Amino acid sequence: MEHTSTLEKALRGVAITCVILFFMFPIFWIVLMSFQTNETILRVPPSIIFDPTIQNYVALITGRLETSAGSLEINFMSNLWNSLFLSSASVAVGLILGVPAAYAFGRLKFRGSEDIAFTLLSFRFAPPLLVLLPLTIYFQQIGLADTYFGLIWVYQLIVLPLILWIVRGYFEDIPADIENAYRVAGHSWFSTFRKVALPLAMPGIAAAGLLAFIFAWNNFIFALVLASADKQPVTVGALAFVTASGIQYGQVAAGVVLSILPTLALALYAQRYLVEGLSLGAVKG
Amino acid sequence: MSDTAIPARTRRFRISRKALPYVLSLPALLVCIAILIPFFTAVAYSLQRYRLSQPWARRWNWGENYWDFLFDPSFWNTLQVSLTYAFLTVGIELLLGLGIALLLQKRTRFNNFVSIMLLMPLMTAPALASLMWKLMTNPGFGILSYFAAFVGLEDFRWASAPQTAMLTVVLVDVWVYTPFIMILLLAGLRSLPQQPFEAAALDGVPRWFVFWRITLPMLTPFLLTATLFRAIESIQQFDIIYAMTQGGPGDKLTVFQVEAYLNFFQSTNVGRSAALLMILWVITYILSMIFIKQWLKLRERARGEI
Amino acid sequence: MSIELSNIRKSFKDNVVLEDLSLEVATGETLVLFGPSGAGKTVLLRLIAGVVDPDEGSIRLGGQDMAGVEPEDRGIGMAFQNFALFPHMDAHANIASPLEARRSSAQEIDGRVEDVSQLLKIDHVLHHKPKELSNGQKQRTALGRALVAQPSILLLDDPLRNVDAKLRFEMRLELPRLLSSQNATVIYVTQDYKEAMALCDRIAVMSDRGIAQIGTPEEIYLTPKTIAIARLFGDPSINLLDVTPEAGEEGPYVRLSGAKVPIRNGYGQAIGKDCVLGVRPESIRFVDAAAAGAVPVTIEAETPLNEKTVTLAVTARNREILISRPATTPGPDSNDAHIVLEPDGVLLFDRETGARVETEPATAAGEAA
Repeated sequence: MEHTSTLEKALRGVAITCVILFFMFPIFWIVLMSFQTNETILRVPPSIIFDPTIQNYVALITGRLETSAGSLEINFMSNLWNSLFLSSASVAVGLILGVPAAYAFGRLKFRGSEDIAFTLLSFRFAPPLLVLLPLTIYFQQIGLADTYFGLIWVYQLIVLPLILWIVRGYFEDIPADIENAYRVAGHSWFSTFRKVALPLAMPGIAAAGLLAFIFAWNNFIFALVLASADKQPVTVGALAFVTASGIQYGQVAAGVVLSILPTLALALYAQRYLVEGLSLGAVKG
Repeated sequence: MSDTAIPARTRRFRISRKALPYVLSLPALLVCIAILIPFFTAVAYSLQRYRLSQPWARRWNWGENYWDFLFDPSFWNTLQVSLTYAFLTVGIELLLGLGIALLLQKRTRFNNFVSIMLLMPLMTAPALASLMWKLMTNPGFGILSYFAAFVGLEDFRWASAPQTAMLTVVLVDVWVYTPFIMILLLAGLRSLPQQPFEAAALDGVPRWFVFWRITLPMLTPFLLTATLFRAIESIQQFDIIYAMTQGGPGDKLTVFQVEAYLNFFQSTNVGRSAALLMILWVITYILSMIFIKQWLKLRERARGEI
Repeated sequence: MSIELSNIRKSFKDNVVLEDLSLEVATGETLVLFGPSGAGKTVLLRLIAGVVDPDEGSIRLGGQDMAGVEPEDRGIGMAFQNFALFPHMDAHANIASPLEARRSSAQEIDGRVEDVSQLLKIDHVLHHKPKELSNGQKQRTALGRALVAQPSILLLDDPLRNVDAKLRFEMRLELPRLLSSQNATVIYVTQDYKEAMALCDRIAVMSDRGIAQIGTPEEIYLTPKTIAIARLFGDPSINLLDVTPEAGEEGPYVRLSGAKVPIRNGYGQAIGKDCVLGVRPESIRFVDAAAAGAVPVTIEAETPLNEKTVTLAVTARNREILISRPATTPGPDSNDAHIVLEPDGVLLFDRETGARVETEPATAAGEAA
């Protein structure tokens, strides 16, 4: 753009700076806060010059919080562990269920396959509470209330449609003749699926898995409704953490940082696939 | 030489060709069908008088829950709050997202870096984002409260004040979800064919004209998809609002899902809660049908480009 | 192994691709399926391979009905038009895949892959992935994969289509030798009539959802069943002129630019009917004006094509005629020339139906005597 005037360049610069400031500042500020003690946090006016301390993180990781009122047990690490377990297990189950189904929808095309695929997709858009509220009652009756099993099952609501629709696109992109050639060469459909379709769709499967993990990790409402304290992931746990008395703000900030760190790291790692994943395969990045 | 050909080995176990797709998709279907059961239960609940605190008084009252909404100011408040929230968030995010996408349109190293950085809010759990903003707007030490005071807004109470509660949650939503619209539109902008723009540049067509007559029309499918996607999620927003104020102050932020949640767990009024959710479901169902049409068009296009 | 197809019907949604198609290929025979794109050639191969199922009709391989038999159990070698190589495996693994399916030992696999790749001259690129191979190497890899297990049925779907002209020429010379060494029943699909003529025992011409004519290359070239088939073979293509045969003292004749051009006695039945005369460019000769049946023409253009020279001429009624002669033969002296049609090279087609008019055998025999 050789016509760009200096004024326009300046305006663009200002605009981009504002954008970066608005979207990055909260994360920056929380990270700063997580290295501060209550005294420096409460200082007026706030300043970015302080003696950084890692005591907030130490307290969270060791699970013991020393306050003026005495020592306090916190189980933030168990929330983190719950998040990790629930998300990984949900994604694993989602992949086991979703990848074969995606293959069926994408490659084999059978009577009613489109209708079923869209029904699964529409789950993605239904209000979650609509299902969750009756489910609390059912879960209580069948003993699934407050179990990892029950939670992982419900997490399929967000994990499955995502995996199904992204992976399906990747299967559709494999030329059918490549699979036909493997069959004609003498291999059963199953070894064709395993040796040809799966390896060729692997980038898509990995991307779908990573994204599904992020969405599962970030989920709030399922665990809020269905899990009690010892099964809660960080999203729900961190909230309870704030309201607990005697908590220091630096520790809350450190908790937030620890909770968002895994998803941010994964997102940066998988950023190539984010656009495709976020649009459920409709837009390529 | 054909007599020396090696025979293909025979297999004993095999799934028939017709049954195979069903066998493959069955497990996924079962899991989802199991989830459809609570959906129908919810439909039934919405047609009942059902309070968890008075299980003995549970009975079918058919459309009464819905009929009551007509004369229930708190229902109209819910509808109004939800719609206000959805319109504000989607509107602001669309404008802001489009603006940022246009700023970052050129494929430079810096622009790509910025667009990746801007994804970070989107990858933050909305509930945790609320928590972050809650800390930032804390009257004691929140940096935003300090800034507000700095520009003369003494005692600006953000989410705790009825006048500014909506503004605060909308701000958090905008912070989290603008990158979503931005990233879709950016992908859209970058996928547009270049010829019309080059031709317009050669003819010296003014830039605002190019924007209105070429860029926007060609971007429309992406705009529609992003908008509808966000609208569906926004009208159902729960995480941000619940984590920030649990629907308060008063009933200022009782959007559908928050109101349904409170009805179920606090007032234990299952019937009303289910009826609220059914109405929300109808709204999102209509939106999602329109969305899926748009989305399929884009998907076909993305697949065609390979 | 023989291939028998009877009364096959195949449609995709509302589009009927094959209708009531029957075909028999004897053991060890090489049959070329020839026809324009969209005639259903590829679909026919897929049906035989078992990749798609017919709506109706039966497929028998070696006398065994294939209904319900999965592709992997049919023991077929197939080369796909777009090669369909497995992109994540190197050339060696690609070629070895049929042997792996048959649980051959590693030693045997290596030996056979080595043999086939030497035969196809790709033994130096066996460790390359398909995307590192040239088109010609890809094509040979695909061919190697089809051949390696020495299947008794080989299906080759236009394997030379996506390779450059030079390689196509080389392979056209090489393939007959390669195929005859295999001793397999071969069905070869092509859109190139020269390839068709060069390779096979018989050609099956496909059009209109079925097989329009089946026969040896000579039969199809010299006695095509219809105008459409006559047009498909030959370069330059056959000359077609509207005529109405008349009866003369020395037998039937047609009028071309006022000249009486005699045709074979066997065409007596066509007298008085609206016909299309078909004559191959190489069945036309330049002659002196005085020769019997000489037709005056004006020469428009001459195109030398390596071994032959093609002349475009127009008759007095402005009908275009292509004449082909060996490049060594001198052409006419001036632009006003005369031609004769060799009576044996003249074909007559019914103008309405497009079907070739058969010569009557009795009189044809008498003529020969």
